[in-house]
Amino acid sequence: MILLDRVTVIYPNKTVALSGASLHIQPKEFVTIVGASGAGKSTLIRLLIKEEVPTSGKIIVGSIDYDTIDKANIPHLRRKIGVVFQDFKLLPNLTVYENVAFALEVSGVKNAEIKRAVPKILQLVGLSEKAHHYPGEISGGERQRTAIARALVRNPKILIADEPTGNLDPKNSWDIIELLLKINRFGTTVVLTTHNKEIVDALKKRVITINRGRVVKDEKVGKYTL
Amino acid sequence: MITLWRVFKSGFRNTFRNAWLSSAATAIMAVTLLIMTFFAFSIYFVRAQLNEVQQKIDLTVFISDDAKEDQVKALQNKVLQVGGIDSVEFVSKADALKRLENSSEEGKKLAKSATDIGNPLPASLEVKLEKLDDIGGVNKQIRELPEAIIISETSFDSRDDNRKGVIENVIKISNGVTKVGGVLSAVFLIIALMIIFNTIRMAIFTRREEIEIMKLVGATKWFIRGPFIVEGSMYGVFGATIATIALIPIGRVAGQFLVDKFNAGSAMAYFTSNLWLVVLCIYGLGILIGALSSWLAISRHLKL
Repeated sequence: MILLDRVTVIYPNKTVALSGASLHIQPKEFVTIVGASGAGKSTLIRLLIKEEVPTSGKIIVGSIDYDTIDKANIPHLRRKIGVVFQDFKLLPNLTVYENVAFALEVSGVKNAEIKRAVPKILQLVGLSEKAHHYPGEISGGERQRTAIARALVRNPKILIADEPTGNLDPKNSWDIIELLLKINRFGTTVVLTTHNKEIVDALKKRVITINRGRVVKDEKVGKYTL
Repeated sequence: MITLWRVFKSGFRNTFRNAWLSSAATAIMAVTLLIMTFFAFSIYFVRAQLNEVQQKIDLTVFISDDAKEDQVKALQNKVLQVGGIDSVEFVSKADALKRLENSSEEGKKLAKSATDIGNPLPASLEVKLEKLDDIGGVNKQIRELPEAIIISETSFDSRDDNRKGVIENVIKISNGVTKVGGVLSAVFLIIALMIIFNTIRMAIFTRREEIEIMKLVGATKWFIRGPFIVEGSMYGVFGATIATIALIPIGRVAGQFLVDKFNAGSAMAYFTSNLWLVVLCIYGLGILIGALSSWLAISRHLKL
C-alpha cells in the first residue's frame, strides 16, 4: 500500500530530515509512527502527500510511483489520501457541513451525491448537530472530527493522521483515536503519528519508531519508546 | 460546468463572509474609480475648452470696400491653396451686419446705427486652420499672395502684441495639456492600480492559510484561484456602483458650476449624452482592475 525505499530528504540548509528511511505498510493496517520532535515524522507525512520531494529514494503509494506523477496530477493524488492535521486546517469561513462538502466539491462530485454523503459522514463522526456551526464556534475535539469527516468523505484508501490529538485533552483524544480505529475496521489504512505514550501503548498495534531520520524500530505490537 | 458554478458560488460566498475585507477593498476601489473618472473628465474638459478657444481665434481676413467680386473670388481660391487651411468662408458686408444684429441686444442697436450710416462693416474671409500653431505662417503667406492687395487687414496683424501672446499661450497650453495629460494619466493609472492591487494582495495574504488548506484537500489551481478572481470582480462591481451613485450628485453640482463659470455646456453635454458609456467604462474598469489584481496577487500563493 505504502512503500518507502531508502528515502532521504535533505533541506536546502543542509538539515537531514530523513536519511535512508525504508518502510512498507500493508493495506488495512493501523500503523503508529513515533519519534521525538524533529525526528522526521512530519517530513514523512509531507512526502506522502507530495508537499515534499525526496532528495533520493523511491515512494510508491497504491499503484502510484511519486517520481512519475506530474504537477497537474498532484491535486488528484491528494484527493485519494485523507489527511488530518494537528491544527485541523479547516476553512474558517465555511461551516462544518461546507468544510466537508468542500472536499467533494473540489473533486467535481455532483450536488445530489454531496447532499447524500455529507450528512452520513457527519453522523459517523457524531457531528450532525453541529453541521451548520463555523469552526470557531465548536470545540477542538469537534474541529478534529470535522477534519476527519472531511478526510473520509471521499472514501480514501489511506487516512494519514499527523498528531491529531496534539491539541486535545485526554477525553477528546481518546474519542478521536476510537474514531480512527473504527475507520480502520471499515478497511481504511490508517497512519498515525503521535507523541502520546499512553495512546500508543494502549493501542497494541504496529509501531514504527523514527530517530534522527532513520527507522530504528518496527514492531508488530509496539510500545512508545524513544 | 458544475465546477464553474461552484467557483462563482464560492466567490460570492467569500465576498459576503469576509465582509470587513470586502468593504475595505470596495471602498478603495470606489475612490480609485471616482478619481480616475474625474481625471478622465478633467482632461477631456480642458481639451474641449481649448478647442473652443481655438475655434474662436481662427483667422479673419478683412477685405477693403472697393474690392470687386471676382477679385474676392480669386483671393478666396488662392487662400484655399495655402497649406494648413481647413476651410474658407466668405462673409459679405450684409452678412456681417446680420451677424451683428443677431449677436445680442447691444448688437441689434449697433447694427441699426450702422445701417443708418451706410454699413461700415467690412466683408471678410473666415479662414479655419487645421492647426492653430500655423496661424502666423498662414497669415504671412496670405499677405504675400498677389491677390492680397484687396486685404485691408487681418485679425492676426490687427492684434496687439499682448493678444498675440495670448494666442501663443493657448497653443502652448493646448500642446502641453495633451502631453502632460497623457503622462499624468498614465502615472495616475499606475498609482491607482498599485493601491488597489496592494489592498487585494493584503486581503489575500490574510487568507494564505485558506489557500494552503484548499491545496491540501486537493483543489486544483483554478478551483482555488477562481473564487478569488470572482471576489476581485465583485469589489469592482460594488466599487463601480458606489462611484456611479456618488457621481450623480457630484456631477450635478460640479456640472452646474462648470457651465456657469466656464461655459462648459458642450463638454457636459457630451458626458450626459454618453452617460451609459461612462458608467459602462467605470464598471468595466472596476471589474478589470479587481480581477487582474486578484489574479496577480494569488499567483505567488499557488505554487503546488
